Amino acid sequence: MELLKVEHVSKEYTGHKALNDVSITVNQGRVYGLLGPNGAGKTTLIRIINHITAPDSGTVTFDGHTLCQDDVAQIGYLPEERGLYKKMKVGEQALFFARLKGLSKSDAELRLKEWFDRLEISSWWDKKVEELSKGMAQKVQFIITVLHNPKLLIFDEPFSGFDPINANILKNEILRLKDNGATVIFSTHNMSSVESLCDDITLINKSQNILTGSVAEIRSRLGANRYRITFAGEADNFLSKLDGNIMEQNIETVSQTEKSLTIKVTPLVSRRDMVKLAAETLDLTTFAPALPSMDEIFISTVEQFNNSQK
Amino acid sequence: MSSKIGLIISREYFERVYKKSFIITTLLVPIIMLALMALPTILMIFHESDTYNYAVIDRSGIVAASLQDTETIQFSRVNMPIDSAKADTRFDGVLVIGENAIKNPSNIALYNHGASSLDTEGSIRSQLKNIIENERLKAYNIDNIQQILSEVNANVQIATYRIAEDTGEEEASSSSETSFITGLAMAFILYMFLIIYGQMVMTSIIEEKNNRVLEIVVSSVRPEQLMMGKILGIGLVALTQIAIWGILLFTALGYVIPALLPADVLADVAAMNAGQTASMTNDMEMVQAVSALTDFGHIATIFTYMVLFLIGGFLLYSSIYAAIGSAVDNIQDASQLQSVALMPIIIGFVCATVVGAEPNSTLAVVLSMIPFTSPMLMMVRIPYGIPTWEPIISVIILYISFIAMVWIAAKIYRVGIFMYGKKPTFKDLIRWARYK
Repeated sequence: MELLKVEHVSKEYTGHKALNDVSITVNQGRVYGLLGPNGAGKTTLIRIINHITAPDSGTVTFDGHTLCQDDVAQIGYLPEERGLYKKMKVGEQALFFARLKGLSKSDAELRLKEWFDRLEISSWWDKKVEELSKGMAQKVQFIITVLHNPKLLIFDEPFSGFDPINANILKNEILRLKDNGATVIFSTHNMSSVESLCDDITLINKSQNILTGSVAEIRSRLGANRYRITFAGEADNFLSKLDGNIMEQNIETVSQTEKSLTIKVTPLVSRRDMVKLAAETLDLTTFAPALPSMDEIFISTVEQFNNSQK
Repeated sequence: MSSKIGLIISREYFERVYKKSFIITTLLVPIIMLALMALPTILMIFHESDTYNYAVIDRSGIVAASLQDTETIQFSRVNMPIDSAKADTRFDGVLVIGENAIKNPSNIALYNHGASSLDTEGSIRSQLKNIIENERLKAYNIDNIQQILSEVNANVQIATYRIAEDTGEEEASSSSETSFITGLAMAFILYMFLIIYGQMVMTSIIEEKNNRVLEIVVSSVRPEQLMMGKILGIGLVALTQIAIWGILLFTALGYVIPALLPADVLADVAAMNAGQTASMTNDMEMVQAVSALTDFGHIATIFTYMVLFLIGGFLLYSSIYAAIGSAVDNIQDASQLQSVALMPIIIGFVCATVVGAEPNSTLAVVLSMIPFTSPMLMMVRIPYGIPTWEPIISVIILYISFIAMVWIAAKIYRVGIFMYGKKPTFKDLIRWARYK
């Protein structure tokens, strides 16, 4: 079931086109990755979903109806640039934000106590935010984001500033929220966390949606006819036989004797042909299909798009 | 929805009211003001003046006999040459009166060791003037001259009244001098409040924008709500401060002044308030000032107007400050744009003395109607007792203007809070206000 549907949204900021006809669909209970280089328009899209700014054109549908101000009570947003009122006490501040999201005071207090206990930060309640370290403040901010049990959670670079231990705690909390039925939008540059967390992704580049789909589907689609071959000696002969059908190739030295070749060929060359050719022309060690990492997908898709624009 | 604004208002309010600096300034400012007012009196009490001893050599033989010692001057009639009197260390100076001093008053000399004080000189001069004038009059040989002179002497004092427009009855009103001072004081208070609290709104918005807490708040409430909540919260802080000062003022006027003043002054004040002036024994100026200060109806009216103009002026100017604060990244960038808000406030304050001198001139009336200067300048005019409809019209204009200004500011704010990096110009702000 669709929780959020963004259709043909465009937004212009005084002469600069921040979003150009972007559409995404986020399904209930999924973790949705919003990827893209800096300045691509991710933050603008997130602000539109948060009902902070309105799009110039296009529609946003949330939970079956057009997004309205009351829906913000069902959304939790952790911005990339973290910020809390420095002079305010942690507990007081968490209560303030919880009540802004529509929780009653007693309800908010109860939930906060539970969260503070679970993340083992109860002793911070009466501390001022300026006394906390950056990582500590991030934890408080995370709780503020999720406290009102929103249907949709939006995390912008949630792991930045966390040490690996705390990052892992956070990751588990996000997965726990997902298991409890929350839908998560996840904006990040950290591609390894995308692979381990995201079900679907959209890649935004230069204000446009240039790649959408489930992580598994994208990886297998872009990984078709892609192989990783390790061998000893030279590969010149092998490569010259494939001439004209190579779409991507990269040779790395693995050890003194061994090299690794990542290669993508046109659909004209079948896997059977590849295996046969490799066995004949290479001093072969391993031969395997190679699914691209999200990192590789990110780089190659963005570069391809930018080159096609020139 | 409105409860969200309430939450923001209360956060902004309590954050400031519980601050030590707020509590201290609120209590300290009245104390400093009182100290400043009491300073001349205190100086008088502790001021010890020396007594000067003057040797008088009177060659006319008439004048010296009539010279009277004062608190600071003692005259010793001596019969010795000038030079030896000058050398005599018992004397601080020598007063030499020429033989024909009555006919030729410039034939008088005062020799001093060191500089003589202005007071001493003036006191001696006026004594001599009286003596010589009396002697000259005596020369005319008019009967009963002393009695005639004392009967002719007139001490003119004017009690000013204002004819109330609505009842046509006379009301005692304060003197122009008291009105002038009251008006200027109010203009000054408004000037301070508009600048201090207006800038407080601006810096608070810049701070929120800078530490990015704004982004979280606007993911829960509309940016316009945040702006209004902030303006209203800080406005309430200003009102709290004024209210505390008002209570202190009324306490001082109601209990402290009556307790300090002598009974006969209070009797005269009561007579003045009752409209009877005949039997007064005290200085009219002082009686009028005290009468005005203890006239609660009068003070309460002025205070009410001040609060009305404070609210209107604050909302007008703080929304301008809010728009500026939303547009910039730091205080330094704000300085240039800030002049848009600062200039009219300063112009209003500078014009206060002009308006106070001529409260019913066309310029004064116009400036006290223009919303940017009216908070200060109408307050200058009100103590003079102008027709009631004038401040009412002015308040209405001011309140309509602030509603318009808040609306424009909200449009700029909405765009401005997400603009980082570029230092905006006034032109940019206008473009943002027109932005869909």
